[in-house]
Amino acid sequence: MTQKTVTNSQITEVRPTDPAASDDVIRVIGLHKHYDRVAAVQGVDFSVRRGEVFGLIGPDGAGKTTTFHILGGVMEATAGDVQVLGQPPRDARLKIGYLTQQFSLYLDLSIDENLRYVGGLRQVPDRQFSERREKYLRLMNLEKFGDRLAGELSGGMKQKLALCCALVSQPQVLLLDEPTTGVDPVSRREFWDVLAALSSEEGVTIVVATPYLDEAERCNRVALMYDGQIQQIGTPAELRNSLGLHRLEVHTPQLQAAEQVLTTLSESDAIVDVQTFGDRLDVLVSDPQTGESQVRELFRQNHLQADTIELAEPTLENVFVTRLRQQGSAPEFFEFPRSRGGNRNVTTGSSSDFAIYSHNLNRSFGSFRAVKNVNVEVRYGEIFGLLGANGAGKTTTIKMLCGLLPISSGDISLGGERGNLRSSELRRRIGYMSQKFTLYDDLTILQNLEFYSGVYGVPRRLRREKIDWVIATCGLDGRETMLTGQLPGGWKQRVAFGASVMHEPDILFLDEPTSGVDPLARRQFWKLINDFARNGTAVLVTTHYLEEAEQCNRMSFMVAGEIVTEGSPSQIKASQPGQLIEVVIDQTQAASNLLKQQMESWRVSIFADRLHIVLDDPDRDIPIVRSLLKSANLTIHSLRPIPFSLEDAFIGVVQRLAQSATPEEP
Amino acid sequence: MKLLRRLIESRFWALTVKEIGQILRNKQLIFLLVFPPTIQLLIFGLALNPDVQNLKLGVVDYSNTPMSRELVSALTANGVFRVDRAPPNEQILGEQVRRGEIITGLVIPPTFNRDLKSDHPAEVQVLIDAVDANTAGIASGYAAQIINHFSQQLAPQNQAPIETQVTILYNPGLISSWFIVPGVLGLVLNLGSSLVSTSAIVREKDTGTLEQLLMTPAAAWEIILAKVVPLFVLLLGEVMLAVTVATLVFHVPFRGNFFLFMGFSGLYICVGIGIGFLLATVSRSQQQAILTSFFINLPLIQLSGAIAPIESMPRFFQILSLFNPLRHYVKVVRGVLLKGNGLEVLYPEAIALTAFAVALLAISTYKFRTQLS
Repeated sequence: MTQKTVTNSQITEVRPTDPAASDDVIRVIGLHKHYDRVAAVQGVDFSVRRGEVFGLIGPDGAGKTTTFHILGGVMEATAGDVQVLGQPPRDARLKIGYLTQQFSLYLDLSIDENLRYVGGLRQVPDRQFSERREKYLRLMNLEKFGDRLAGELSGGMKQKLALCCALVSQPQVLLLDEPTTGVDPVSRREFWDVLAALSSEEGVTIVVATPYLDEAERCNRVALMYDGQIQQIGTPAELRNSLGLHRLEVHTPQLQAAEQVLTTLSESDAIVDVQTFGDRLDVLVSDPQTGESQVRELFRQNHLQADTIELAEPTLENVFVTRLRQQGSAPEFFEFPRSRGGNRNVTTGSSSDFAIYSHNLNRSFGSFRAVKNVNVEVRYGEIFGLLGANGAGKTTTIKMLCGLLPISSGDISLGGERGNLRSSELRRRIGYMSQKFTLYDDLTILQNLEFYSGVYGVPRRLRREKIDWVIATCGLDGRETMLTGQLPGGWKQRVAFGASVMHEPDILFLDEPTSGVDPLARRQFWKLINDFARNGTAVLVTTHYLEEAEQCNRMSFMVAGEIVTEGSPSQIKASQPGQLIEVVIDQTQAASNLLKQQMESWRVSIFADRLHIVLDDPDRDIPIVRSLLKSANLTIHSLRPIPFSLEDAFIGVVQRLAQSATPEEP
Repeated sequence: MKLLRRLIESRFWALTVKEIGQILRNKQLIFLLVFPPTIQLLIFGLALNPDVQNLKLGVVDYSNTPMSRELVSALTANGVFRVDRAPPNEQILGEQVRRGEIITGLVIPPTFNRDLKSDHPAEVQVLIDAVDANTAGIASGYAAQIINHFSQQLAPQNQAPIETQVTILYNPGLISSWFIVPGVLGLVLNLGSSLVSTSAIVREKDTGTLEQLLMTPAAAWEIILAKVVPLFVLLLGEVMLAVTVATLVFHVPFRGNFFLFMGFSGLYICVGIGIGFLLATVSRSQQQAILTSFFINLPLIQLSGAIAPIESMPRFFQILSLFNPLRHYVKVVRGVLLKGNGLEVLYPEAIALTAFAVALLAISTYKFRTQLS
């Protein structure tokens, strides 16, 4: 009852037409959507101004996709008023570009054919079509690939092409539902640069949902949604300030122990929340001074070493995690019911035995060499990350390592087995989670879990316990008999992970397990992965979230089928040439555009209200950057060197290689 | 008891339970197994009738005597011909045949009665539209036979020296649906089993779960067998349904042993599933599988004798049809239903069908294991 009155009062607040409302391109008042008995959206109000980039963030199943369906005119609202460009969405469809979660392309048509098809469908006059085609393909760096089949493009290129297709009819409104899920960091940055240009230079209004909160920082305004309602709405800065907290970045070699200590032992309320983020801890404190002394004190008491403690603004991710924890909707961690007492192979201690091993692994498809001389060594109890852009050959490598794909040449051993990787004895010891399709959509969650526990030979008396664990871990109690196909994507991933570990595998292959999973659930995922590794499971994982890749013990970067860098996360970051500079500046977009004219575009990237710039020779280059920005009347608030993040390192490695490779291409 | 417990613990059991769960959820599949076969049996059985009846006859009777009218009524007496119109002259009659308004035309000359009376051979002209060669042949045969018979009655002294006494066995009423319906039963079972089994595998490919399935410890034969078992039961149900329609609607007799018939049907279901699996393993998508199945299933049906008799085919195709499993099954269905044949007659078919089933399932299991590469 109380909730209802709240929504009512919000409606009356929005109703009076204020002068700014005339500029609203999208107006949503009291939106409700019910599927049978399930209420997906329950009373949502917001409006988006012309040329604004409006972000929708929230956990999986918060109702974001449903909202997009209604805004795009694909679905009717149960109740409420939705206006796009002053019209009901269905009537405004020709002026709306809509990018759904799945690639909405014809994979057996070329880039040009896809574009022409959309142009024809949307009745774009020929002359304008060729102008726009040229312009947007150039903007997306796709102009060289016009006659390539869409099916042969990498995930990132596909999404850029899909955006091109949406732009050909020059829509005034762009609706993007998780456009960068499964897209590598390099392509993600390029994609967001394009979005920024579209909104600031062409006045396109953009509504975008994303599970990447660093992307959400680049929105003008953000709405935090859960349980079908918008809980908070504002600029990223407003959202951050609303926490009323300060963030301490704590760098320590003993991350896990430190997190344990800080969460359980802090008695005063000075420390509000502790979150692991990459290679550091984010400690949210109400007062910076007392907070810092508290942290130092706890570290000292528990003989932990703190390398540095820095004060900073909270991030959107901090907001997201804290707000959700306040709601009590953070997924809980349950101990896995182990029936085998960990992995025998570790306790016998023959460390020379690799769980996964390959030497000079090659694979060609026709004349195309997808994987070239790849060496991988993973021990039991180790988490190994295989990172790379879309189409770098990670999935092909994984498929060969687990025996799904015959190799062209090289040596492989898996779990000590060299010859027959397909024996049923060996596969019983392996867990495998492929990129997305692991579960049967037409079976219930329970049936899926019963199937996988049965087919992996989990003894019947233990199955109940393990299935209950998966259900509880996924927070799906009481919904076991739901059809799996009806689950939101992120939840499916969680169930799929559960399904692939119920038999306590010695070796676990995870191909982008967290793609499309919300930040809180991702933390839970990694807690589980770490737990399995501690119990002796060898884990090989791929991911596009580089900050979570920090949790790998070792990793390799793959570019164009080759491993180009390997080592621990800190080794890789330390081996980066040059220096990363953080610049806090007023107009990030303008500054970035300016700098990109003077240096390679990958060196400059926008992070919320600041720029990250990679300089090879800081002593020489910093003055140049300063004078360049000054000459354009851009005020620099601060400029300081910061350590490379794994993502910066990754982008640096990939781009330098791409550059050295370009001259070979015609 | 111990065996049962081991079965319930096994991977095979988990796989089978999963398949059954998916089938139960798939209302479309159940629909496909019930309605199309029934409809096909009804349409083929009722509409596909090689008997010629009610052929439109145009008559130009210049004679217009009781004798000429008797000839016309002799032609129409058994319902083969029906007088549709009586144009005034041959020109108009010819034109009507040309336009397809009538199939046959009869011209009785003015001298007809006179010639008969004066013991001259009387002449009548019959025009037949032979665009449909089969119908034309039958019509001309009937016309000749009836007119012959008519003239014999007029002159009984010209009795033919040999009199034939034909005994018609197994189908004394010469009901053509008794021939067609068992054939269509084979056709329906062939289509049903191959399509259903194709989709059971291709669906896993389309959704990407196949890769996951191949990573489990389950062996290829376990996966295949788990898919075969529930489909097998369903398709046996389809056979029963088809037999029920055949006996209740078309009154096709069931003279042989029911269990022998079901045994053969089970064997053929394995063949059909084998064809379907093989199709699925060589196809990349559902669409491709269905298109390919047309290339396989249509020749199988045409060369099976289900609809057109094998004896009417050129010799080369008659030999080729021996390699068609459907031909053997159709022969079994007709043999058991109409003739009451037992294994002592049908053992060659039993051997052939077993060989086909084993070969097809073995090949598709092998293909299934290697298809991802």
